[in-house]
Amino acid sequence: MWFASDTGGTFTDLVVEDEGKWSSYKAPTVAADPVRGVMDALQLAADDRGLSLDQLLGKGEVFIHATTHAINAVLTGNTARTALLTTAGHPDVLLLREGGRPDPFDFLTPFPDPYIPRRLVFEVDERIDADAAVFRALDEESFALTAAKLRDAEVEAVAVCLLWSVINPVHELRVGELLDKYLPGVPYTLSHRLNPAPREFRRASAAAIDASLKPMMTHYLGSLTNRLMDAGFGGRVLVVTSQGGVMDAAEVALAPIHVVNSGPSMAPVAGRAYVGLESDTPADVVIADTGGTTFDVSVVRDGRIPLTRELWIGTPIVGHLTGFPSVDVRSVGAGGGSLAAVDAGGVLHVGPQSAGAYPGPACYGRGGTKPTLTDAAVLLGYLDADYFLGGTMSLDVPAANAAMTILADELGMSVAQTAASVVELATETMTQAILDITVKQGIDPANAVLVGGGGAAGMNIVFIARRLGCKTVVIPETGATLSAAGALISNLTTDYRRTGYMALSQFSSERANVLIEGLETQCQHFADGPGAGALSVTYAYTAEARYADQAWEIEVELPTRRFNGPDDVAAFVNAFHREHERLYAFSDHGSDIEIVNWRVGVSCRLREPQPERLEMKAARDRPAAPRNIILPNGEAHEALVYDWSLLPEGMVLNGPAVVESPFTTVIIDKARFQRSAAGSLIIELEE
Amino acid sequence: MTEQQLSGARLAVLRSRIDGIARKMSNAVLRAGRSGVLNRAKDLSCAIVTPGCDLLSAADSLPIHVLSGPDLMARVMHDFHPVLRAGDAFLHNSPYHGCSHAADHTILVPVIDETGVHRFTVMVKAHQADIGDSAPTTYFAGARDVYEEGALIFPAVKIQEDYVTNEDIVRMCRARIRVPDQWHGDFLAMVGAARTGEKELLSLGRELGWDVLEAFSRQWLDYGQRRVETAIAALPAGEASGQSTHDPMPGTPAEGVTIKASVKIDPEARRILVDLRDNIDVLPCGLNVSEACARTAALIGVFNSLGADIPKNAGSLSRVEVLIRENSVAGGGQHPVSFSVATTNIADRIVAAVQIAMGVLCPSAGIAEVGSVNPPHKGVISGNDPITGHPFINQLFLGSTGGPGSAHGDAWLTYSHAGNGGLCFVDSIEMAELHHPIRVLSRQLLIDTEGAGRFCGAPSLEVELGPKGGDVEIAYISDGVINPAQGTQHGGPGGRADQAKREASGQITALPPIGRLLLHPGEAVVSTGAGGGGFGDPHQRDPRLVARDVRDRRISTERAAVVYGVALDDFLQIDAARTAQFRAKGPR
Repeated sequence: MWFASDTGGTFTDLVVEDEGKWSSYKAPTVAADPVRGVMDALQLAADDRGLSLDQLLGKGEVFIHATTHAINAVLTGNTARTALLTTAGHPDVLLLREGGRPDPFDFLTPFPDPYIPRRLVFEVDERIDADAAVFRALDEESFALTAAKLRDAEVEAVAVCLLWSVINPVHELRVGELLDKYLPGVPYTLSHRLNPAPREFRRASAAAIDASLKPMMTHYLGSLTNRLMDAGFGGRVLVVTSQGGVMDAAEVALAPIHVVNSGPSMAPVAGRAYVGLESDTPADVVIADTGGTTFDVSVVRDGRIPLTRELWIGTPIVGHLTGFPSVDVRSVGAGGGSLAAVDAGGVLHVGPQSAGAYPGPACYGRGGTKPTLTDAAVLLGYLDADYFLGGTMSLDVPAANAAMTILADELGMSVAQTAASVVELATETMTQAILDITVKQGIDPANAVLVGGGGAAGMNIVFIARRLGCKTVVIPETGATLSAAGALISNLTTDYRRTGYMALSQFSSERANVLIEGLETQCQHFADGPGAGALSVTYAYTAEARYADQAWEIEVELPTRRFNGPDDVAAFVNAFHREHERLYAFSDHGSDIEIVNWRVGVSCRLREPQPERLEMKAARDRPAAPRNIILPNGEAHEALVYDWSLLPEGMVLNGPAVVESPFTTVIIDKARFQRSAAGSLIIELEE
Repeated sequence: MTEQQLSGARLAVLRSRIDGIARKMSNAVLRAGRSGVLNRAKDLSCAIVTPGCDLLSAADSLPIHVLSGPDLMARVMHDFHPVLRAGDAFLHNSPYHGCSHAADHTILVPVIDETGVHRFTVMVKAHQADIGDSAPTTYFAGARDVYEEGALIFPAVKIQEDYVTNEDIVRMCRARIRVPDQWHGDFLAMVGAARTGEKELLSLGRELGWDVLEAFSRQWLDYGQRRVETAIAALPAGEASGQSTHDPMPGTPAEGVTIKASVKIDPEARRILVDLRDNIDVLPCGLNVSEACARTAALIGVFNSLGADIPKNAGSLSRVEVLIRENSVAGGGQHPVSFSVATTNIADRIVAAVQIAMGVLCPSAGIAEVGSVNPPHKGVISGNDPITGHPFINQLFLGSTGGPGSAHGDAWLTYSHAGNGGLCFVDSIEMAELHHPIRVLSRQLLIDTEGAGRFCGAPSLEVELGPKGGDVEIAYISDGVINPAQGTQHGGPGGRADQAKREASGQITALPPIGRLLLHPGEAVVSTGAGGGGFGDPHQRDPRLVARDVRDRRISTERAAVVYGVALDDFLQIDAARTAQFRAKGPR
């Protein structure tokens, strides 16, 4: 038996694999003790099988955990007291960042505090040059004094980021040895080891975040493992990484930055697998995950899940940039709880402010009086007030109506028109978020498959698809627990990277091959170690490169594993032009190409990559009556209400319709839809 | 036919779609551009203008590039080319015809639908690394006139017809612009982005109907006007003036250039009047401010105090009138006056003068002066790469602080300069060293240089850098050595700019505030950018913030005591009794 859990802000999701069948569960997240939420969800699974918790866990082979523990710690500042060591003369690297401002006229947003305050930044007398030469040798005598200051400051972790350590790590390595000597037992992170890429701010930021998480994540993962063991589990504990794979819990504790975006990275893994079940023709995929406060978008391009170094914790520019390659997931403040309001000039806004879980939307009846997207959905007939979340909660329609009426009066529109407008504007905001990531990843959303995940996706995923010109929407049967489903089919992965700057005009195949071979050997060690016993092992070879003098690199797959002669170099050049063309709509064959970074990744398949079928429960105990729904364009329809679990597979139906499961409700306009053989709801939008 | 009335909800959706197109254009230039000034520093803007030449959207743009300028440039395009056809594109950088300064190459594309009707004009503006000046800089302060400046001037010149580039013009540029491949890469990126905007707008028109987009344009501008009128109506009536002095330089009066602005707020008429007429005549140097920049600088000074959520479009901008005197340094110059440095130095002083006047009239929205530019670490660097022998030229963006304290809080630290509002990116040291044969020895904030106040201005940033392997030349023009950024409402001034040369012997030699500095390996320039002014009485600053800044080595214990009236003990904890004593004496 395998378990995968995903701890979200409101719910902890659990998907259980049991003899080729999946089942899913949701338990409330306990903010003060996230492991409690996991245990509660496991208890639901045990009850479902008539087992005790220790009987259930006793059958467990693997437990996979996606956690928001690390990201929450960073957001709340609840991390270790961490020092930063920088090259002398550069103490303000974390303060100065990379510039930019959310709005040039906004004097209300304060400048962000550095991740580590200056009082805990210490300069190291040394300097390496861009060409790897030692310009100033490391002054070990003065370092001894610095170490004493670190002790006096009672630091609990240390991040080290010296200039050009990625080209010549000798000083960072020596500083590591000296830290072992002077501050034994204090965890530290060396920037070139964690995140070997030029741009000192990104490296410093990654090292700082990583080091600051080490003490608490070691403790948290230890406690999770122990509590699982105490409850009867004897298998392997894996943790979901921001890179879209899983790692052993003990490895994560050594480099916890890997798990800052633990849950959202799994949505594209699941999305790719579910779309793959529907068609043999590879398609680009856009995965939209709608929660209560945020809308997360990720993509699959040419079968690959692209990574970005621009993952922000919190709001871009004012949050913290991890600078660490992570699955590209963009978030906007739009979700079921997004508040709708009219400004002084009479224009409507939806989000980014949210009613949150408490008081939540007005219809939750917990005292919220401001209208939200969920209230609009109730008033438009999208949600059944008497049967919300499979009947576990009922909704207060008069409260939703009262809240929306105030807005309607301000806009001079009817309540229904207003609610429809709130859905339309939220749809537009979500659409812009998708356009933002797809334009940056070179994907045409009109030719992509749109996957809807998260409990609230069904409210408007079809409308988003219309706006994007998408022809196919897929809502997996595990859609409401998409990340946990992705975790269950993800691979044990790791990446090794090195900076190796070379212009192709002065390319040395030999030097490149040595670099690649070194990275490959590291990958092989991983495959032989943690990856031992895998069903299969695959390697990925990429380079981060750019045209001469461009500022930003793009990641390009190497066509060959080694450069054996001019043909291989030419193949790479072509691959680079193609990728550039795809991302930016042009290529420049006259320009030199500079490779900055090299990467070899290894992926160890732990189980078959296809999702198993979900044991889906009925949404209700008796059939629901047709419902009147109003579409965002104002059309009113009587829609039949289908129970997802009872839809015959392969039967093509026509909207308008509502499809319900215990975890979600999907609104379909005039589109055709069916439950596929793989269990997903497939909605075809072509007229 | 009567125009259909769009609801507040519909306006919001269409706004999002139009802004989305402007953002998509800006993203396209940013990612595909070649020069560091463009793709590392993001010194670029994209705007959408109506056929009537009204600014509709400039999401994600630098303020100094767009508040005024797109309107003027579009009008000139119409005047010079009365018949516009699909496939046309125009290259425009003429400050005599509405551009900010010659370094801001701009592509204008009229968006013409299938029936030949002109629907919108899209604009992509990007600061170039080089534009063919007679010296290797795009900020040529010493230029007596445009002839000495030497920039190639393109007053809305047709560069594409039927979507085909006029390669004659490209060859002319390649023959004059240093590192022509770099320019050409940026040019292609800009044209590509403008064409993206054109395509998106055409498809939006087809999808929604042009009548809807026309109604939107009108009503969106009305909305902007309504928003700004509401904001102005809530301001106190009155008239005040402010001034700010640019340091003396060759070509300026010996006492420098004092910019005066008077601001009149008329809440009843819902109107603000900015008068820039009381300023000196144009100067025989490159510091003159173009009309577009003078108007924009005045608008920035006003809108900084009005709140970020008011859209910047022709509707909102129309309620602020800017008066300019012909032949004045502040926007009144004509050809052949040089506007080489029009976007930064004196323009920033215009922003300051207006901002200070606004602060006098409405202290609760007051903002101090932004630190001035451009110190050597933001200068234009050129030379030959010692390894490849290839020539290079680019503007350095090694960071600037300069943010002003305001009624709302401490400074946005990396404000860059007044016309920029903090949008520019900052070079990574490793990337700067990879692209140029230099070594950045240090980059750090200087202690005790913040504009003291209840809310502080940003401290000065000091950068030391020198060549590596071969000579480099740095052209710079650093204001703020004599005249620091002013504080407001009893706030203190920001730290001054400074520059010096560290000789190979280690000896420090002072440098003039303007120069073309040739550095040999072993030498270095020590360059200090100006800090920002403070807001409010430093004695009213929260003592906990003062203590924090002392612990973070931003200010000294002496300054905490003398300037802020905060006493700290040996453990840098607040000594409440002595602090009360210091502060009882009242403001400094």
